[in-house]
Amino acid sequence: MTDQPRPKIVSGAKPEIGHYEEFMEHAAHFLYRAYLECGELAEFDLYGAKHVLLASPDAQEAVYRAGEDEVSASAPYQYMVPVFGEGIQYGAPLEIERQQVRFMSDALKPKRMKTYAQMIAQEVEDYIADWGDQGVKEFHDTFKELVLRTSTHCLMGAEFRRRLTDEFGVLFEQLEDAISPEAVVNFKSEAEAFAKRDEARARLQEMLMQAVEERMAWKGEPPTDMLQSFLEARYKDGTGLAPELIPGMIVWIMFGGFHTSSNTAAWACLELARHPEYQQEVIKEVDSVYGHGEDLSFTALREMPVTEGFVNETLRLHPPLCTLMRQVVNQPFEYKGNVFEVGTNLVISPYVSHRLPEHFPDPERFDPHRPQPEHLFALIPFGGGKRKCVGNAFAFLQVKSILTALLSRYELSLVDPPETYREVMPSLILRPSHPCNLRYTRRQR
Amino acid sequence: MRVIADLQLCQGHGMCEDTAPEVFRVVESEDGSYPHVEIVQPEPDAGLEEKVEEAVRACPNRALSLE
Repeated sequence: MTDQPRPKIVSGAKPEIGHYEEFMEHAAHFLYRAYLECGELAEFDLYGAKHVLLASPDAQEAVYRAGEDEVSASAPYQYMVPVFGEGIQYGAPLEIERQQVRFMSDALKPKRMKTYAQMIAQEVEDYIADWGDQGVKEFHDTFKELVLRTSTHCLMGAEFRRRLTDEFGVLFEQLEDAISPEAVVNFKSEAEAFAKRDEARARLQEMLMQAVEERMAWKGEPPTDMLQSFLEARYKDGTGLAPELIPGMIVWIMFGGFHTSSNTAAWACLELARHPEYQQEVIKEVDSVYGHGEDLSFTALREMPVTEGFVNETLRLHPPLCTLMRQVVNQPFEYKGNVFEVGTNLVISPYVSHRLPEHFPDPERFDPHRPQPEHLFALIPFGGGKRKCVGNAFAFLQVKSILTALLSRYELSLVDPPETYREVMPSLILRPSHPCNLRYTRRQR
Repeated sequence: MRVIADLQLCQGHGMCEDTAPEVFRVVESEDGSYPHVEIVQPEPDAGLEEKVEEAVRACPNRALSLE
């Protein structure tokens, strides 16, 4: 057939490596260029592996609604298996993995969220208690530290959180080196980062396993946290998670929620500082619901349309994950007459989708008053379909708690010239460039 | 008012049930994966409209709609 439609091929491929270098340099910018050049479907090559960017809500919907027997998430993410461990997530059969995700969702039910809201509120209040009347902080690192505290508290409970040392964060960073773009292609290489990753994973196993064993020996009413949920979780056949797999579950959920949330909090503060007029709107809402003796935990669970709109717009322009992959399996996958062969990697990019002018007019402009797009698959910071991020509501709770506590006390402003704050991608996560210094000044009330 | 659920989008988070338990119930799935919503009252009783609208808004997956 000669008239069969085919995706356009992105320019600039090099022999053997294809578009690898440009993709590594800044995946989000590369994908955006691919869309500008080729439109809805853009084909590119990473070391001989064929990838197609699908850049329209319809195409994204087609992929997100397709079954696992058509497009697989497990196939392109096998490089995560050494990170989480065999028997966990994509290191387990599909029907097991789907139940493990349910264990996570059980641990994130509304009733549980109320408990987490209290833990998060306490951590946030403690964290900013000694900030004084004014100062300058590097907000990316600040929120990394804070979110590590809140996450470990909600996941592992107060005892583990109290014992939390710098080592835990360092080990986590070593693990993350394995998801640098380099690792995506060089999976199972002998590189130093990989050896470090395995070492770090083994040490994390030891630390987390100690907490699991302590909890199993707990006398009396156990705390309500995710560790406890995982210990009580049951597969449909009535069996539980093997205790030695629980550390992997914790590492998995941490991976999903740590940098994504901390980066979003940092981006939100940066946008608040860039837009004093919008900052005043958020402050007004914060003052109307908080600061008259209410619990922060109670407040953060309420509807806060202005603050939520602000966070949504932050996630639109700065989605932490820019590249989500699926692989065509079993039979060719068809979209609008285009046929993608088995083995093709289908790429969905929230970064690109959120800049489609038909759905987001004047896309580069930060506008927290933007209406939600009509199309359900246009705004996809958490992905979509059955594999949408399970921690969605938890992430909002976390970021709202941070913003509410911060803005009830301080105003934020830029320290450096506006153009020096850029978006960079040293890993697969989009983050503000270093240093992301912001000034906080106590509000006159 | 009629409530519709798109089960391909539902992950059973239960925000709807938490907001309007008269209308929504989260039930276990047979294969042990995510639970999902069951609409107990597809045409909610008079007086529940506001609660149902709030529940639809509360869905993190935009799986619920009204017609």
